[in-house]
Order: sequence, then C-alpha cells, then structure tokens
Amino acid sequence: MTRPPSRTWLNRRAVNEALLALLFLAPALVLFLAFTFFPIGFGFVISLHNWRVGPREFVGLGNYARALAGGSEFWSSLVATLTYSALAVPIQLTLALALAYLLFQKVRGKALFRVVMFLPWVTSTVATAAVWARLYSPDIGLINGALKALGLQPMRWLLEDKGIFTLMARDWGLPIPAWLTGPSLAMVSVVIYTTWVFVGYNMTLFLAGLGNIPPEMYEAAKIDGANGWQLFRHITWPLLSPTTFFVVLITIIGTLKAFNHIWVMTQGENGTQTASILIYRQFYEFQRAGYASALAFLLSGVILLATLIQNRIAAQRVHY
Amino acid sequence: MKNRLFIATLACSLILAACATPTAAPAPAEPMQPPAQPAETSAPAAEPTQAAEMPTPAPTEATAGGVDSIVLSKDQPTEILFWHRYSGGAQKFVEQFVEKFNAENPFGIKVTVEKIDGSYADLYNKINAALQGGTPPNIAQAYQNQASFYRLDGHVVDLMPFINSQKYGLTPDEIADYYPFFLESDKNPQFPGELLGWPTSRSAAVLYVNLDWLKELGATEPPKTLAEFEELACKASDPANERYGLAWQGDVSNFAALVFANGGRVLSEDAREYVFNSEAGVEALSLLRRLFEKQCAVEIPAAERFGEQTRFAAQKVLFVMASSTGLPFYADAVAKSEKPFRWTYVMFPQKDPAQPVVDIYGASWSVFKSTPEKELASWLFLKAFTEPENIAQWAVASGYMAVRKSAAPKAIEAVKKDERYANFPEAAQAYERLYEMVQYGAIEAPVAGYDPVRKLMSDMISAAAIKREVDVKAALDDAVAKANEILKENVPQGY
Repeated sequence: MTRPPSRTWLNRRAVNEALLALLFLAPALVLFLAFTFFPIGFGFVISLHNWRVGPREFVGLGNYARALAGGSEFWSSLVATLTYSALAVPIQLTLALALAYLLFQKVRGKALFRVVMFLPWVTSTVATAAVWARLYSPDIGLINGALKALGLQPMRWLLEDKGIFTLMARDWGLPIPAWLTGPSLAMVSVVIYTTWVFVGYNMTLFLAGLGNIPPEMYEAAKIDGANGWQLFRHITWPLLSPTTFFVVLITIIGTLKAFNHIWVMTQGENGTQTASILIYRQFYEFQRAGYASALAFLLSGVILLATLIQNRIAAQRVHY
Repeated sequence: MKNRLFIATLACSLILAACATPTAAPAPAEPMQPPAQPAETSAPAAEPTQAAEMPTPAPTEATAGGVDSIVLSKDQPTEILFWHRYSGGAQKFVEQFVEKFNAENPFGIKVTVEKIDGSYADLYNKINAALQGGTPPNIAQAYQNQASFYRLDGHVVDLMPFINSQKYGLTPDEIADYYPFFLESDKNPQFPGELLGWPTSRSAAVLYVNLDWLKELGATEPPKTLAEFEELACKASDPANERYGLAWQGDVSNFAALVFANGGRVLSEDAREYVFNSEAGVEALSLLRRLFEKQCAVEIPAAERFGEQTRFAAQKVLFVMASSTGLPFYADAVAKSEKPFRWTYVMFPQKDPAQPVVDIYGASWSVFKSTPEKELASWLFLKAFTEPENIAQWAVASGYMAVRKSAAPKAIEAVKKDERYANFPEAAQAYERLYEMVQYGAIEAPVAGYDPVRKLMSDMISAAAIKREVDVKAALDDAVAKANEILKENVPQGY
C-alpha cells in the first residue's frame, strides 16, 4: 500500500510546474511584451500628450475629447470607413462565394480561372492601385474611353465627390434630398478596385471551405430528391458557415483599417477620407502624434466592437 | 530532479538568448548625441493646439563656445551622416562629390551619404521619426518650413555662427557672391537672425509653353500678362478632342505663384498670419475658376504622376505651370513624343509685367544638433559643396539654379552646350533667363506647419475653382482662418 502524496507536496509540485511553464513561455512573453504590449502602452502614453517630435505637455484625455467632439473629422472619417466597409464586404463576399461555388463544379479550365482570380491579390497593391487610377483618369483613362465609344457620358470617377444617387438623379432630372446622396463616386470607384483585388483571395478561402464538406451529404440529399438550390441552402451554406464567419471577420477588419490603395488612388479626397487616412494625415502632415495616437486607439475600439458583435452573432449562426 | 534542473537551465538559456537579440548589434563607434529635450513648461494642460503652451525654443549650441575654438583633426576623423532624396544625375553628383571630399578634405571629415527613397514628405517623416528615436542625420535636405518645424524643438543648428567664424566662415566677398535672395529665404522671422538651412538647390515656378501651338493660335510670343494667358489658354482648348490650355496638377506652389503674380503674398512679412485671402488671392483663385468653368484647364488626378508632362509632350495641353527643374525631363518627354515640337519655359504671366514677382523655392540643407565637432564638420561640408566650381557642376547635373553669381555663367554655358537641348534651343535659352528672375523672387511660407496649410489650400482650390461649389472669397477666408490656427499651433513661445 502506497502512501498518498501530501497536500504540501502537491502544492509545491503545482508551483514548480507553473514556474517551469512560465520559463518555457518566457522567450515568447518577453518578445510579446517588448514588441507588442510595450508599443501599445507607449502609444497610449503618447495619446495623452501634446506630442510633436517629442512630448510637449500632458493633456490627459484632451486628444480623445477633441476627436469625439461633435463635428470633428473623426466622425466624418468613421462614416466614410463604415460606408466603405458596408459597400465592399457584401459585394466581395457574394462574388467570391458565387465564383467559388462555380469553380468548385466540374468546369473546364477552372485551374486557370483560379489563378487569374487570385493574381490581383498577389500583385503589389500600390502598383495595381496606380494602374487603376490611370484607368479611371477622366480625360485619358480607358474606362471613360470605353464609355465614350458606347456613346455614354464620361465620368470623373476618383475626382468626383458627389454621391452616386445625386449623379443618377441629376442625369434623370430628379430632385434628391441631401440624406439620399449616397457614397461618392470616388468611394464607389475605390470599392470596385477593392473587389477586383480581394475577390480572388476570398474565393480561395471559400474553395477550401467547400472542399471540407463531405460529398456523401450531397449524394444522400440528391437521392432524397434535393435540387441545386436546396443543396446549397441546406448543405453548403450551413456547413460553410465557419469559413464564411472567418472570411467575414477578416474582410470587415481589413476594410475598417484599409489604407494603401485608398491613399494611392485618392489620397483620401472626394469622400474617401477613412479613419486610417485621417490618422496618417494627422501623424505625418500635421505632425500631431498625440492626437493621431488617440484616433488610432478609437479606431481600434471600433474594430474591437465590430469583432465582438460578429462573435456574438456567430455564436448563434455558425455550425461547427 | 536532474531533468527538472536541466529543463530549467535550458529555459533560462532561451530567455537570455531572446533577451540578447535586440542588443546584439554592435554599437556605433560614435553614437549620436540625443537631440535636446524641449524646455519644460508649467502651463496647464488643455487643448493641444494652444500656441501659448509651446515650449521655449532651445538655443542653438553652436554659439555657446565659439566656432573658432573647435578643432578638427585628421588623426581623429569626424564622421557625419547626410540624408537626401536626389535621384539621377543629382544623386550621382552628390555621391561623387562626397567621395572626393572624404579623400581630400584636410579636417579628417568622413561623410556617409544615404539616399532616402520617396518624396520630400517621406524624407520629412523619416527625419521626424529619427528625431523621436534620437538618431537624426547630421545634414539633411529640408524645405524652409520643415527646417522651422525642426527648429521649434531646437533640433537644427543656426548656421550664422559658422558663416561668421574667422577660422571656418566665409569672407564678405564670398558672402556677396551668393544671391542674397537665396540666403534670405532660409531665414524665418520667428527666429530672428538665424539661418536654418544652406541654399544648395533653388528653382522657380515657371510656365512651360508649346511654341508651335502658340504660333498656330496667332501669338508671336508667350503671354506676359495674366489676361493674355487666360485668353490663349481658352483659345487653345478643345475639350471634345481632349486638348486644353492649361494642365493643373494640384501643386499649391502654382497657386502661390498666381497670388504673387497678382501682387499678393501667402504669408505676412512678419510671419504672423496667412494673407492669401487678399485681393490678389481672390484674383488668383477667380482666374483658376474661370479657366475650369470655361473648360480651358484640365485637372490632373493626384495619382497620375507626371500626367501634366505626358499631356504636354503629347500636345494635349498648351501650358503647364511647373518647376524650372523639370527642364531636362520635359526635353526628354518631348524628344520621345510622336511629333516633337518647339517649346520653352518663361516667367509666369503677371498682372503688372513691370513689377513681376516669381515664386522661387527649393529644399536647403539643414544641420542637426549633435556635437560641436560634427556640427562644424557639417558646415565645412556645406561650404565645400557650394564652392563656385562645385556649384556650377551641381547646377548642370541637377537642373537647379547655381546659387552663386560667379557659378551662374558656367552653368548657363554648360546647359547651352548640352546635347539634350540641341533640338530645343529656346528651352536652353530659358535656363539663362531663369537667373534674371531671381531679382523678383518671393518665398511662400518658411514657417512650421506650412505642409498641412498646403493641403487646406489644395482643398480650397478644388472646392472653389475646380468644382465651383463655394464662393471664391468665402473659400479663401475659410482656408486662411484654418491656416492661421495651424500657424498659432506652430509658433515659438512668445512670438
């Protein structure tokens, strides 16, 4: 008969194991603290100061109050950001899912299509955005050239700050209230570019998700007489929900902090000044590091909130 | 137990290794001095834009001990770092000069030159980041307003003590050899008596003209008055065939040139307020508005780099307002076009040609605060670079004006002989006329915060002239009010 280990010995062992675990984790923790936690903390300290090249004076939450004050640029930039996200996410995901579903079937040349669709995502964003900006050029751009060839009116694209509904109403001679102007044509032009870039990437993720659905389920449903729509509605869509959740999550986060292509195409002009562009401008053009840091923390808060809401919704609708 | 000890030792080793990584790089032989901390202020915390809370600018150190007392020796080389963003011929010249200077200077100065890729704004951002990190270069290109921003926190050195040094400075004759306007343009009334940069590169806002097209329009010479300019621009325009009088690429300096041409200023002489909403500003913005309204001008999107140059070479635009430094690039573009034509650049048309004012600009080279030895070494490098022989070659290589009178004839002669202009004699002659413009020179705003003000001006031009959504005077007043807020945020304490 063996004697059971005493409580003291157990405690000591637990402490030792915990210390050992900490020791193993230490290298990663040190790196995390040095390169993630410290910069975030330091950024927060900066946001509490009037900080130019260096700190000038402590202003407490003054920078946050300034950003959140009514009529501040932060609110308009947030509206632009949310508009961009609201336009880009559904269009991108719908197209990506449709293309993925199509290319998942037995289609001739589907490997080539997949490569072609994926190419924009692996190409340099700055380069492709610059090319698209040239395509959108009002006087020498190919898009307006095509419109003219079809006998249609050329558009100002990236230079147009008027809402698309206003432009439509103007063409049709209809009056339109101010609240119904819609996103600027420049914003829509950027969304078209974004769709072109990211559809291929999202499509690839959906293809991977589709590949994980057991084929037997389709076979069984077909034997039971399910048609194409029923297969999609009752098998593909629910079983694809973990992938859909992931794609929606990264796409929303991506659109909320989008910067590169917007900067290259419009530099934030004509209704495209998103929160990231505003932060960049405040930091680099105005050299207001304190205020820009406060804006960055507020944007992070918005992204965090969006992610929490998504998680809450996903808990009810995602089937693992 | 042995196992546990071994594992613990291994874990400790890993931690130490991880901790050692960031400091593994060898320390530089001569670490830079951290930049001076701004003076503390006891003002209460409030809105960050309050001018009253600005710290008192730190005095520049160079004056403290006397420049003449500093000794540089070949036995103890002084290493300095120079950041620039020149490319092409200018970059090549700078690198060759540095190599020669390092080999021949009697002071043991070793210059390391680094090209920073990107725009002037990128260089400005990089310098600001370096200042925050305490590792600025010793010399860097900086526009006057950028140098003033660095000066607000005491990061750049006043060059006057070096110029006035008996041992290392310039003689009165040498000083007189510099075009006075160029030296004056590196001064800021907010820092009286200080010189915040050394003028190495200057160019003017000029009007590029397609001479053949002008002849077709029945004009015998480029426009001298703004009225002639407007008339010709509209006469040339044919929007149906995508041909326009003027290409407008959104460069605010061109608007400033228009304000000057109308007899106005961007900033008041004492640098206390922006004044581009004067009558001259109204006339300048109204002219642009009329040009866009009558479709005599075409807007070049910001994303289209060199779009105005491309259209000029393709004979899609009659006039382009641009920097005189573009001369070799325009020559190259026109030479490669399908149907080359005669062209040149001229002084921008004026409201009163008898009293012209020309916008002259260019990044200078500023010296950053470090040790007295490095600051002196930086000055000696600047001084050597602007020796007449060097500055003449530099002007040819870069396309800038030679900043010294004695160097100008050599630079002009070299440009006239340059093969790139063999088929464009009028363009080569334009470079000579550039030097006549210096006497009419004006600078936009050498004060900190002018970069965001330029953005305000750009938005104002877009709203009032291009889109014509707001009244010209209202747009100017609004922009000036906002610009003056930015000015207040960036003035030294007590100014």
